[in-house]
Amino acid sequence: MKLVRFMDAAYQGKASGRKLKTRPGDMIFSLEDLADQVGVKPTRAEVEQFVPQDKNQLDMLISLDSGKRYSLLWGYLTSLAAERSTVPLLLPCRDYAGLELMQGTIIMQEAGAHVGERMKGGKILVRGSAGDYLGQEMEGGGIVALGCRDYAFRNMRGGYGVVRGDGGKFTGLGNSGGRIVVQGSCDERAGWLMRSGSLYVRGDAGDYLGLLMSGGKITVRGKAARRAGWRKKGGSIMAASFGPEAADDVLEMD
Amino acid sequence: MPDPRKKIQLLISSLEELRLHVGRKDLAVGKQRVNALLFFSLANACLRGRCVLLYGGMGANKTTLVNLLGSSFLSLSLDEVEDMMVTGHPEQTEEKIVGFLDPRQWTAAAAAESTQVLWTAWAKSNWKLINEINRFPSGKQNLFLEILQKRKISYAGQICRPGDTCYFATMNPEFSATYPLDEALLDRISASVPAAQPDFLAGLLLSEREQEVRDLASMLPRLTPQEFSSLPEKVAEKPLTGQVELAILCLIRDFTLCERAPAYDKTQLSLAKPSLGLCSGCHYHNNPEAICWQVDEGLSDRVRQDLRAFCRAFAYLLDRDADLPVLKAIAPYIIWHRTTPLRSALERPPYFGAGKLAYVAELVEKSINRTMNERAEMNQIFSRAVDGELAAAQAVEELSTFDDPIARLDFIPTLEQMR
Repeated sequence: MKLVRFMDAAYQGKASGRKLKTRPGDMIFSLEDLADQVGVKPTRAEVEQFVPQDKNQLDMLISLDSGKRYSLLWGYLTSLAAERSTVPLLLPCRDYAGLELMQGTIIMQEAGAHVGERMKGGKILVRGSAGDYLGQEMEGGGIVALGCRDYAFRNMRGGYGVVRGDGGKFTGLGNSGGRIVVQGSCDERAGWLMRSGSLYVRGDAGDYLGLLMSGGKITVRGKAARRAGWRKKGGSIMAASFGPEAADDVLEMD
Repeated sequence: MPDPRKKIQLLISSLEELRLHVGRKDLAVGKQRVNALLFFSLANACLRGRCVLLYGGMGANKTTLVNLLGSSFLSLSLDEVEDMMVTGHPEQTEEKIVGFLDPRQWTAAAAAESTQVLWTAWAKSNWKLINEINRFPSGKQNLFLEILQKRKISYAGQICRPGDTCYFATMNPEFSATYPLDEALLDRISASVPAAQPDFLAGLLLSEREQEVRDLASMLPRLTPQEFSSLPEKVAEKPLTGQVELAILCLIRDFTLCERAPAYDKTQLSLAKPSLGLCSGCHYHNNPEAICWQVDEGLSDRVRQDLRAFCRAFAYLLDRDADLPVLKAIAPYIIWHRTTPLRSALERPPYFGAGKLAYVAELVEKSINRTMNERAEMNQIFSRAVDGELAAAQAVEELSTFDDPIARLDFIPTLEQMR
């Protein structure tokens, strides 16, 4: 059978429209919808372009489970929601809360990893403990947490961070600005590669405090463990006492 | 021999009058409304080598209905039909399901020339019910890949030939003791029909049933073996309209074509799929008129065969033409268990949520309407080029103005090869 005859039989002489209608699917009802538009590793500007203006819809998106896949998207959404809110924004314990936050306040009972990353303003209060990378690469604003794990305030350039309990390893790694206060003790290599800014520890500090630091100021009210200021090139370290093999230019407080 | 359809109609009314099956008329075929569970089971009884899966919660009359129909179509007692079914559980083995080596052959005075196998009643029957199919562990489900839709069963080098067979399966939703069904097995299941619990009125009617199902089953009309074996022929006599043939072809291509898959064939995909971000940035992505990005799986050629067979069977049962309303009614039941719609698509307006069947029904409707309306011109250009009435190069040029996956990913590559 000829194909033309087959088509004629099917259409019986009728023929109409010819284009696939293209309607942009820009409605955002879930994090998957948003990811469809901007991908899973977008910039803040890309997210801002598609984020719903309606507060309820934004709240609904924040309340959804982000999973690991959409955690960056969720982080940006929390910042945008906090900036638009006139009251502090209460958030559940997840990663990337307050990502690139510019203003507003976020309150969390417990915090996951990367909280307050690249923030430029605003405040984040964590009533409990925070995970790794708290306030990483932050440029402004402030974070207060009861405790934190490793790499807190890594590559910090401005703003302030307060840890009301103990900090983990590598606190203030690579800092070039900002102020850090640890009211408890901090683990090894605090202030590692520090270039500027200040680190104040009320308790004790672990090994290699200020390792390879080239600027900034570290003050430890308790004891700094061994090799404080190891191969440091600049900046100052003060502590109540030092363990063995401390650098020559560290200062002992009275 | 009188047309067995009259006896089947009598069977339908008897099932209701005896309160043996009183489901809601949830399937609209044009202006006719029927019960999907009953009519898909009947349609399967009129076909051979197809499998219908009845899917639903406990006590929704799935197994009993199939056994009642088996009793009527095979002219056997309900007990005899029940004895033939196999039920899924982790201790089921091929030996229990299909057959086992006759141990007497090893002690007989004269050894038999060939291995003797004792086939089970299930293996020998041409009415096969696999009850609770998802209670078979995944590995054991593979056994059915070989058996379903086949006319013979092999074991230990011996072959059992029950002939053309009607296959049925039942399953519950996922419970603690069930196993997921493999995609290859699902593809061999021709249609999947939800079995709902009786509604208020149905419950009321069922409460009027005072006799045992077994006793009532004996009152059902029975088909003679000649009538039962004549059914596939009667069904095959129903011609499919040209519209149905064309709509089926385009429907399969709508689900299967993917610009980013090897050979534009979504069934080739393994790890990459629409739900894992394959379509991000694609021209058709998020276009509600395009179907490709909305479901993970493509459709195999078995779907085309099943659509054609069930269209004919429904047309025969309802004594009407095998036309587009029949196709629109049955196609969702043939496709929905073979596909996984994107979760994000189910969760946007109009919020299908758990209503996967309704969502697939909408996709089917969209594809068929599109084929019958917007695709007319491009289909005619393509057919003229294939028949040599139009130069392939000119047809390619004209088709390139159609923003349609079938034109771009199917017609144009075909014509390119013809040039």
